[in-house]
Amino acid sequence: MVSAALRPVPEFDTPPLEAVPRRTEIALRDVSVAYPCGRSGIKTVLSGINLEIAAGEFVAVLGETGCGKSTMLRLILGEEFPTSGSVAVDGKPVRRIDARCGYVPQKYSLFPDRTVTGNVMYGPENAHSRMIGRLRPSYWRFRRQLRVKAESYLKRMGLRPQDLTKYPHQLSGGMQQRVAIAQALLMHPPVLLMDEAFSALDPSTRASLQEQLHSIWLETRPTVVFVTHNTAEALILCTRLILLGRHTEGQPARSNILLNAENPASHIPFARRAQCPEFHRIQDEVKQLAFESSSMFQGEERAEAMSAEAR
Amino acid sequence: MNLGIHPGDLVSIQARPNRLWTQSMSWVLFIVGVALYAQFSASRHKENPEDRVVPSAHQLVEGIKTSALQPAEEDDALDPGASLYQRLHHSMLWKDTVASGMRFVWALLLLVPAILLGLHMAVFPYAGAVFLRFVLFFDKIVALSLLPILFIVFGIEEWSKIMLMVIGVAPTLILDTYNNARSVHREQIVKAFTLKSSNFDVAYRVVLKQILPQIINSLRLSLKPLALFLFSGEMIASSDGLAYRIGMMRRHMGMDIILPYLFWVALLLFLADALLRIANRRLHPWYQPL
Repeated sequence: MVSAALRPVPEFDTPPLEAVPRRTEIALRDVSVAYPCGRSGIKTVLSGINLEIAAGEFVAVLGETGCGKSTMLRLILGEEFPTSGSVAVDGKPVRRIDARCGYVPQKYSLFPDRTVTGNVMYGPENAHSRMIGRLRPSYWRFRRQLRVKAESYLKRMGLRPQDLTKYPHQLSGGMQQRVAIAQALLMHPPVLLMDEAFSALDPSTRASLQEQLHSIWLETRPTVVFVTHNTAEALILCTRLILLGRHTEGQPARSNILLNAENPASHIPFARRAQCPEFHRIQDEVKQLAFESSSMFQGEERAEAMSAEAR
Repeated sequence: MNLGIHPGDLVSIQARPNRLWTQSMSWVLFIVGVALYAQFSASRHKENPEDRVVPSAHQLVEGIKTSALQPAEEDDALDPGASLYQRLHHSMLWKDTVASGMRFVWALLLLVPAILLGLHMAVFPYAGAVFLRFVLFFDKIVALSLLPILFIVFGIEEWSKIMLMVIGVAPTLILDTYNNARSVHREQIVKAFTLKSSNFDVAYRVVLKQILPQIINSLRLSLKPLALFLFSGEMIASSDGLAYRIGMMRRHMGMDIILPYLFWVALLLFLADALLRIANRRLHPWYQPL
């Protein structure tokens, strides 16, 4: 049996844009997340979040540090569960971490004990067979085919043949993230979750990876949820922008969706986006909105902390 | 004369000794130790030529010959025409090394489940909930205090000594494996699940593979406690083994045998440690110790 992960495609699958059905891929309904904090205290991170993401969308989640961006991602991933409300991916509730979502974290995204090719082949190997199945001759035939496919993916991601036998610690941060993206994409996940995936990279590597990710997304059209605190990056990449923060002053320090809109910069051609004056104007507006929310957030958090201390 | 070293370098943190200096200086304390021993032995032999407390080089060579080429007192004497191989094979040292070595190997094999328990405790939350507190408590029990119980349960034969080694080292090894497995980044586990891993794939193909170099290092550190428990067991109740022989020779003031045995044990442990270190480096070229 040939695994679904090993469809005979020399390059990435390329469904046309309009062919992608606009069904809801990810749905968060009235989601709140609260943690116990201190003695008998409770810290609410997210409150009453309602969000629907359609298949094939590229959604960037923006917000200041601590506003719950990564928590939202972990909810979709199934690593964390909401205190109230529900999260569904592909129409099914999320109960555990599974292969419906590909995941590219900021760090530690590769298995240090595997070579670059070994890392990329890990997922499809699991999808093909379990322990006993690996003793069959068909498994080794599958592995040979898989290696060819993995190498073509890695080549496409800009890795040189001599890099393929290296271990992750022998690669630069940018190279590691390229491998991590290839590792996730080779599984053809319907949803790709990226948590500050390019935050630790230098600007030029970051720009080149953004370009690569954008072109891959255009070709394969997975649903991408891209968490970042970098406004420019969000505006360059996404089709929809979600800004987490405070609605109004005086509310308790908990995040809600402050902005959920089509990316106003998406009509600017990708190659010119970062240089366009209009892009910078939009960026400034979003930044301003984020800044206002962040100052409110910090002020309220400080006030909450002080009152907790006084109690 | 220019030695390529400035006297100030000897106490400088920023000194960069070259390879020749590093190699030479690593032997200095051995040479000083041998010289002091020879001096002390010579002074004692000047006062009493029959002194057995600090044997001379000649006495030590005779002691080595006796232990490596002659059978133990309790065994039958060898045919005078026996070959060197037969002499080595039936010698006291070989017999004791095999006896202690077998106990050591059994104990190491029985420590494998301890490693797996530590792994499961770290990876499977319910296993952790059941075992962690118990192992933490058990770790504080002085293993030697269990010796009478072990003698009652397992008798005074092999198993009591092997179990003493296992019980003495297992809790530490379990907790060490547990801590190492817990320190595997959460991102790795999440990533593995998104790549269609099963629970056992994550435990064995992701976590265990990543912490194996650290487990081997823990085993290296456990070699000495293992030897310590082995020696305790053998000295109390045994009819062969390296520690048994050292205990026997102590009664006869046989320092000419005790000293070669002592260095033989140290050499064996040093070689076992080196073997594990080299194997670790070869098997895990990706491992980057902190």
